[in-house]
Amino acid sequence: MIGSSRTPSGRPGPTSANPDLALAYAADDGSFAVYNDYSSGHETIRPGSEAEGSRDVVATWRRTSDAWRVRPAAPVEAVEGYGVFTFPYGPISMGVPESGRFDVRTYGERILALSPVAGYKSRRILSSVCGQTVSDAALRIERLAGNFSAAHVAAFLSAAESATGASVARGELWVRALAQELQRIYNHIHVIARVAEAASQNVGTAQAHALAEEMLRVQGSVFGHRWLFGALLTSGPRRRLDPAERRALGGTLKRHAEAFERLWELFLGSRTFVDRIQSTCVVAPSVARDWGAVGPTLRACGIAWDDRLRVPTSPYTDLFLDLPQESSGDALARLLVRAHEVRASFLLIEQLLDRWPVTPEALEAPPSSLASSRGLGRVESPSGDLVYDVTVSRDRVVSIGMRSASQANFPVFALGLRDGVFTDFHFAWESFGLVFAEVDG
Amino acid sequence: MPTWIGQAVRNGIVTTRYPEVPASESEIPPTGRPPVPTQGPNSLRAGVSLCPVGAISERAVDQGKCIRCARCLPGGFEFLGPVEAAVLTRSALAAEESPGALSRPIPPLAPLSRSLHVFLVDAGSCNACNLEVLALTNPLYDSQRLGIFFTNSPRHADVLLVVGVPTDEMVEPLRRAYDALPAPKAVVAVGVCAISGGAFAGIEGLHDSLDQLLPVDVYVPGCPPAPVNVLDGLLRATGRGRRT
Repeated sequence: MIGSSRTPSGRPGPTSANPDLALAYAADDGSFAVYNDYSSGHETIRPGSEAEGSRDVVATWRRTSDAWRVRPAAPVEAVEGYGVFTFPYGPISMGVPESGRFDVRTYGERILALSPVAGYKSRRILSSVCGQTVSDAALRIERLAGNFSAAHVAAFLSAAESATGASVARGELWVRALAQELQRIYNHIHVIARVAEAASQNVGTAQAHALAEEMLRVQGSVFGHRWLFGALLTSGPRRRLDPAERRALGGTLKRHAEAFERLWELFLGSRTFVDRIQSTCVVAPSVARDWGAVGPTLRACGIAWDDRLRVPTSPYTDLFLDLPQESSGDALARLLVRAHEVRASFLLIEQLLDRWPVTPEALEAPPSSLASSRGLGRVESPSGDLVYDVTVSRDRVVSIGMRSASQANFPVFALGLRDGVFTDFHFAWESFGLVFAEVDG
Repeated sequence: MPTWIGQAVRNGIVTTRYPEVPASESEIPPTGRPPVPTQGPNSLRAGVSLCPVGAISERAVDQGKCIRCARCLPGGFEFLGPVEAAVLTRSALAAEESPGALSRPIPPLAPLSRSLHVFLVDAGSCNACNLEVLALTNPLYDSQRLGIFFTNSPRHADVLLVVGVPTDEMVEPLRRAYDALPAPKAVVAVGVCAISGGAFAGIEGLHDSLDQLLPVDVYVPGCPPAPVNVLDGLLRATGRGRRT
């Protein structure tokens, strides 16, 4: 079980995960809140519960007439005056390939306030899987955010396994880690490519996108699917990895790791690129901590938090993982953190392949649970801490909550861009690696 | 000291030769091809109970519903269908003779026979289809060599390329984008979410098929379709698709 404990009554109890960070919760209907809590760590809270009332809400995603809007609990300072106006950016814009909107308060170039508005692509996934079997629900969960599919399915399955008390074969955990690390490398390189694209680094952009494509091809060759749909399900398209295939995979990844190093050296050698993202969309450590930022956004502010290190489960408990932080909190720092993590993930995969379980035990049949039971699942997705809270009865999902990295980081992005200029928008947006699909669900 | 030019020379030409030559194994993973029954009616009968989205009937596989989850493989299916699976009518995706029917020659959508300018709209996708479509601009696919360009405005586009299962919230923006395209124009539905709702079919608040909202000219099945599948769909809109 990842990062949770359970009380004798079967309900999840407080975790000692990270008492310094804000926690958050997403309800079955998709509404979501970030709470400031310094006492009990990342316990998830049902909206309307006694526990909810005892905590300070710092930001919420709530449904408005047409969409989800992030609302800070304490209203941001309103700016009025001659020439000040608000314009909607989205929901369809080529700058942000996903459908989502930003209401930008400005008097021209400077952004006085930014309000992300999600919900345009809400597929009601969480409520739709209630009543489904765990394996059927997983088919929708892995399509909640395609580029983070491995993380979502791993967290969901982990929560369901915790709820039912099912044990998981060691080899299965290895497969999950491999899939997640491959997807992390792809996502980080993709983010670097997108930031370079915003900076008109055309040659570098093309080469970074080419490397990201190579990573998708690796995922396709190992798991039979470029986006790892089915990769963590026993019914998936392809899951074998014999010694020859492991050697071939190791060789391919070594070449890609070397290509990444050459690419990154060239990016860091480009002063126009570095200058443009340095000091852009700065997030102060206090803001990141108080608003519940997670993942590379948090680690770029000098706060060392990564589920793989702080709440490690197998196989991470057996592997060496070193993740340097950055401290300036700007777009450059977020990219530097991602570059560190690309290297770290290549090294993790090398270790995984070297120590691959040769005779994985068969998956133990999950015992049927006559009563409803609830479990938490938690993984470090490419954009940060991802939590699932699932209640299962007789192998069917009874209720489900989810807190994604994008939900947690959207308010921080909006705050970081205040007082920036509109030309900063794409550097900021891409450097956070935010995904509307993860918010809309 | 490394330079961008040195790096480019080192990498050499990486662009695919598709559609001049067939898609390579690295360009198309197993799930990039439609599943086909290998034991005829026996496979189809077995597949009916295995398929979680109702794509398999005793007569045929509806490729417009198949999410390529691989659950039917134990029943006698394999991902052996053609890469060139895009069609001009919804019914062709569910035809009994499919997937052979998927690769029959298609006339161009007059007068879209030369270059295409494409405007992408995400109507409710998981992001995978978006990223596969945008991958066409990377050097490994380089859609511009085939005269396919992505535009920043629907006003400059010939093709509205839609991904994702249309949500209630996206119906109005989608219609506005369609209206903004100058005539002649075409609509390409990419991915089974846009074609049939895919894994999300039947959920309240979602529109199971794009063609209930807009006139669709080309259907590209897959979950998500790989870049060469999308390329095939766009080329078919101009009558230039590869024949298998």
